Amino acid sequence: MKIYKKQGDTIQIICSPEESMEKGDYLLIEDRKVNRGLIVQVVDIQFANLPGILEDILRDVITEGTVQGCDYDPFNISSQIAVLKDTKLLVCKIRGAIEDGKPKPDVSWLPSRTNSRIIPFPIERLTSSDVRKPVTIGKTKTNPLTVDVRMLDGRLNIITGRKGTGKSHLSKLLLLALIHNGAPCLVFDVNGEYVNIGVGKCNKPIDLAEKIKILVPGRNLKFTLDGVGLRSFLDTMIYALDLPRTSSKVFSRIWSELERCGNLNLNSLAETIRRFNCHESVREAINSRYHTILDLDLFTDDPASAFDFNYFQRKLNEGSAFIVNMRDQHSLSRRFIVELFLSKLTEQLSEMRLKAIFLFAEEAHFYLRETYWDDIVTRMRHLGIFTTFITNQPDTVQESVYRQADNIFMFNFTNENDLDAVSKVSKIDAESLRLIVKDLPAHNCLIVGDIVRDFPVVVNVKPLDVQTMGQTRKFFQD
Amino acid sequence: MTYRTHTIEFEHSKISRLLLEGSKDTLLPNFLLELSTESMRGLNGLGFKPRDLTEVEATLEEEVPEPPAIQLKDDNSIERPTPIGPASEKCPVVAVDVSSIRIGESEQGLLYSLRGAIVWRIGSSYNFTRCGPITFHLNDDMARSIVARRYSSEHVAYSTWSPVTERLLARLRNSLERWMQEIACSRIGDGIVLLDGSLTAGTPDNPAFYVEAILRKARKNGNRVMAFSKETRLCYSGRKITRLLEGISIPCILDIDRLIVPQFPSTPVRLMGRVYLAKLGWKSFPFRVDIDRQLSEEKSVDTFSLLMGSDLVEQGYPETLRLAHILSTFTANEVLAIQRYLSIEYGLKIMPRLSLRRSLFGPFGTCKEAS
Repeated sequence: MKIYKKQGDTIQIICSPEESMEKGDYLLIEDRKVNRGLIVQVVDIQFANLPGILEDILRDVITEGTVQGCDYDPFNISSQIAVLKDTKLLVCKIRGAIEDGKPKPDVSWLPSRTNSRIIPFPIERLTSSDVRKPVTIGKTKTNPLTVDVRMLDGRLNIITGRKGTGKSHLSKLLLLALIHNGAPCLVFDVNGEYVNIGVGKCNKPIDLAEKIKILVPGRNLKFTLDGVGLRSFLDTMIYALDLPRTSSKVFSRIWSELERCGNLNLNSLAETIRRFNCHESVREAINSRYHTILDLDLFTDDPASAFDFNYFQRKLNEGSAFIVNMRDQHSLSRRFIVELFLSKLTEQLSEMRLKAIFLFAEEAHFYLRETYWDDIVTRMRHLGIFTTFITNQPDTVQESVYRQADNIFMFNFTNENDLDAVSKVSKIDAESLRLIVKDLPAHNCLIVGDIVRDFPVVVNVKPLDVQTMGQTRKFFQD
Repeated sequence: MTYRTHTIEFEHSKISRLLLEGSKDTLLPNFLLELSTESMRGLNGLGFKPRDLTEVEATLEEEVPEPPAIQLKDDNSIERPTPIGPASEKCPVVAVDVSSIRIGESEQGLLYSLRGAIVWRIGSSYNFTRCGPITFHLNDDMARSIVARRYSSEHVAYSTWSPVTERLLARLRNSLERWMQEIACSRIGDGIVLLDGSLTAGTPDNPAFYVEAILRKARKNGNRVMAFSKETRLCYSGRKITRLLEGISIPCILDIDRLIVPQFPSTPVRLMGRVYLAKLGWKSFPFRVDIDRQLSEEKSVDTFSLLMGSDLVEQGYPETLRLAHILSTFTANEVLAIQRYLSIEYGLKIMPRLSLRRSLFGPFGTCKEAS
């Protein structure tokens, strides 16, 4: 391999066909005279534009099929011609430098074209060094990629890619790694894909099974008014059910009155709304939303069968994971549950009753209200909600999330609109992202961000030993 | 005019021998292979200036410098061209072409490669055999070696030793071309053998006896030899003679033999072909075409029709000959491949190319590179 050109942060390298380079691979351009090296990543592979190649190919086209024959090539020059025809041009991006064997950020120098040696560079050497809480995500072209789970801590993460490329699989892998390391987790599971995460392939519970709690709304996820509290309930009424501000003030007064009398239950709430001295339109607004909530079958007056947020807080602090299975739930129900949990979490975190939580939000646009996106990126993050968004519709995630994301796990996208959306990510240049992501095979993922020390890495995500349940149900079975 | 719709059928047995594996060894003359190996042996570890391909890509083919034009006497009146059309009968058509290319230069000489192609037609499909490339390190030692090994009398036909490498190349190229033409002539029967150039011979670089041998062999097998010249030096009334067919759009031929014969003394240069101007398609290009002089005039004229019926004639040029040219010509990519082969095989050290003009005149040294 030889350096051909450098322009900006792009270096073009001429590479013989025998070298099996792929997009995402790392190379070290080692200038031994100065004992420095440039770390570059292959972002595109093209054919080298050699003089006369067009004539060669034209001749092949002219003669192919219609003209048959044989070559008597006594010195076997044709093998060299074949080599030249297939000579590759590697388009690489400079990712870092090495000086005296240590990584350096200074990439403002140029290695010698003639003296440099270009060799494949195992990037895991840099991304997997000093890992204290390791998790093996998969394999790069040559070695397993082990990263530090701590790099998800305090971070905003995105897992995105086309349908069926392995997003949920990776998010389960990260979730299990967090649980394994005692991190509190909450998963908003839209498709019921995580419910068997505690069960191994052999149908036996895995070691971490005890730490995983599955919540099914209406079944083991019901709330009491008292348990939820006015603030969370009101937030939900306002944000999930669009209760007007004036009506919300009246509702607060109703709630406070019932609390003062020690009579806060579903029947008395309904009764008080009916007889409370307020404008008829306000009453109607409150009443209709209250009945909507009742219809969702999420509330009970029986404290024994209700979900206990104190238990939730305690278990989280012990390092458990809660999976809220929102499959088959009405969209309103989803929004209500999410509002309620986020409101409760904010409350518990701000009162320092909960240290932090790792939130996994699958297809969040289905249940997350507009104002929450910025809130999650800024306020909630500072409180200790560290979110991982998982989506196959990247344009549904707000641009600010991409810009501020600390770790991005990208699976294949071919659609230009999708690529446009993900290219807003600030941790990698848009050109590299587009070129690599477009050609990623299924289960291969481009990881960018803190977790890989800002060296974008392509990894083949390893299989999991748990029941992943992510497959789409099909009518025609083989 | 294109005759693509014609069905052309041959007696396969007459030409299938060209495909025999056993014939491979005889496709290239041993003396050229030996000469190549011997000349390259001296190359080991030498410095090497590869040919710069970026500037000369468009003009890769080595064209031997064209000698001055030959003015034909215009005191004779010119006959009217004879219209021709494709014959109904078919015959096999074989074409031969050879190309040469400069690969670079060593400290002791120039490196050239040669390649030849024989193309023939079976049924409606074309077939080829391509030989080479074979590379030669042309220098004074090689010229001496040729004399010493008596190649001169047999094949390369040196009357005197020539120090000019270009002439050495012309002779080597001629040797390979004539060898392959002889193979083509002897391996088909009752067909047409198409050659590139003319049937004029008798110079040191192009000895007459070899052309004679080819024609003899062709006649023995019932073949008719036609040679197409893409460029001609012949001029009439101050203009290229091919312009005599200007303004005529139908396929036609014009016998110009009687204009040419008086121009050439019988020795040393000999016209071994009857010379025509031919336009073999509608609104096509005119070419000088030489046909074996020993064929009767009538048969010569018939040969044009036979060719039109037996081969595709695009823009007035036979397809087999066009393919032979395409297949033998070197592309820049192939030159690179040969350069790579040489540096690996002979451990050549690539030397920086010194441009005297650039060194002297800097950005104003825009003309040819000094080499």
